[in-house]
Amino acid sequence: MLVGVKFCGGCNPRYDRGKAYEAIKKELAGTAELVIAEEGGEYDFLLVIGGCTNCCASYSQYHAKHGPIKMWDEAHMDDVIKKLKKQEE
Amino acid sequence: MALMNGAQYIESLRKLDTKVYLFGEEVKNWVDHPMIRPSIECLAMTYELANDPQYADLMTAKSNLTGKTVNRFSHLHQSTGDLIKKVKMQRLLGQKTASCFQRCVGMDAFNAVFSTTFEIDKKYGTEYHERFKKYLEFVQENDLTVDGAMTDPKGDRGKAPSQQADPDLFLRIVEKRADGIVVRGAKAHQTGSINSHEHLIMPTIAMSEADKAYAVSFAIQSDVPGLFMIYGRQSCDTRKMEENADVDLGNNKFGGQEALVVFDNVFIPNDRVFMCEEYDFAGMLVERFAGYHRQSYGGCKVGVGDVIIGAAALAADYNGAHKASHIKDKLIEMTHLNETLYCCGIACSAEGYPTQAGNYQIDLLLANVCKQNVTRFPYEIVRLAEDIAGGLVVTMPSEKDFKSTVKVESESGMTVGEWCNKFFAAAPGVPTEDRMRILRFLENICLGSAAVGYRTESLHGAGSPQAQRIMIARQGNIEMKKELAKAIVGIKK
Repeated sequence: MLVGVKFCGGCNPRYDRGKAYEAIKKELAGTAELVIAEEGGEYDFLLVIGGCTNCCASYSQYHAKHGPIKMWDEAHMDDVIKKLKKQEE
Repeated sequence: MALMNGAQYIESLRKLDTKVYLFGEEVKNWVDHPMIRPSIECLAMTYELANDPQYADLMTAKSNLTGKTVNRFSHLHQSTGDLIKKVKMQRLLGQKTASCFQRCVGMDAFNAVFSTTFEIDKKYGTEYHERFKKYLEFVQENDLTVDGAMTDPKGDRGKAPSQQADPDLFLRIVEKRADGIVVRGAKAHQTGSINSHEHLIMPTIAMSEADKAYAVSFAIQSDVPGLFMIYGRQSCDTRKMEENADVDLGNNKFGGQEALVVFDNVFIPNDRVFMCEEYDFAGMLVERFAGYHRQSYGGCKVGVGDVIIGAAALAADYNGAHKASHIKDKLIEMTHLNETLYCCGIACSAEGYPTQAGNYQIDLLLANVCKQNVTRFPYEIVRLAEDIAGGLVVTMPSEKDFKSTVKVESESGMTVGEWCNKFFAAAPGVPTEDRMRILRFLENICLGSAAVGYRTESLHGAGSPQAQRIMIARQGNIEMKKELAKAIVGIKK
């Protein structure tokens, strides 16, 4: 499973988005491949990592078969991991 | 060319032959000059973050001219969403540099010249808009930094450009040729001018027919013959010249830059001319540029404010005063003031509207309210920061003293460094050097070289307070408010 990742621009993040990305990537190793999303790429999911509740990252330019999964809080990490693991099952 | 990174940007400056004067002498290698380099590092950050996926959503945009991804600093705003992202990008860069990163003036000039040239062409049948679009494509393709230059030296403030005793005190056209124009004059207070590949010149005030020679807008490479810059001094700037300077600088990597940019009979080819004597559009261009730039301050100064609040909180921690209720309350007040500025930046963006040319303009009233607050709140923020930090901000010995191994002739036999570290230790577990670093940062931003960007630039940059009050008076819709009052109290006429 290929997951494209898009970050918001990080103007006032409430947590370390980069660390969250690395932690999710590590947890999903062997289940899903997480890569920085690029235009023209085809992904199974798009993970949008926002820094606050606004989660303002633009992502309509990316193609993901099963749409976006959004997170904007460290507390969302477990849900993201569970959701992606479940999809792989 | 794709987006440049920070190192590529710095190397691109070395290819320019920009003439720079500092302390009365020409500086040949200005890229590596210790007083200039920190401002270059700031600008490099605008390139570096554009290549980082964690920041690219704010730092880049899709060009409406070419469809390619460009640095947002060379983008024409296509929506209110773009205007909002501009402010967020500026907050981000303020956080990363704690300085003025200098590239906003170009972005604000692009958007103002784009929409104004469209309307000049519509009235006069000129071809400025198409010229400007080609120019901006060139800027975007090469990822250039452009100094959007508006402010003339102005001379006697009571007189119009054409009434000045010295006609050069406002930049003007001195010759019109078949292939271009020759200009003479200067632009003062130019932020980042030395670090810019190009200059985009605009008139500085609304003008009458008598001033038409001064109604001129054009773009020119920064190193053409006749163009040179004289560097502006900043408080405590020579600390940057001290050997191995680090802690005493407060911010040892980043800083701002202003210069006087002089045009001594500079030739501008026609394809770079975007206004030539259309004096009736000078006011429109000024108003639009100023509007964008007053919006900008609701982002950049907020980002710097974030760092100041963090530094003040750390100073309290290091002093062992962080549990005091008045300290907590002062940090709340600083946050309230800072976020109020951000609210204004976001609000004037969200209320933006499309110009006739299609790019988006901010709401003028709210942008002027934004900047009016910026003329005041940073002063209160640094006052509170100094309050929290304590007097040591301005009385502590130098870094060399703290590191000195020279023994003092006294009974204890301790070194100067040992005495300093003994008496300036505070909260347990906090290295004295860390405390010094935070206090020096606050010194620098409150009254050192960085105060140029955070204090006086907040007051006078993008127009002094009275300029905003004039705009607020024009845009304030007082007549409608009178009608509201009449309706409530039952006045018929």
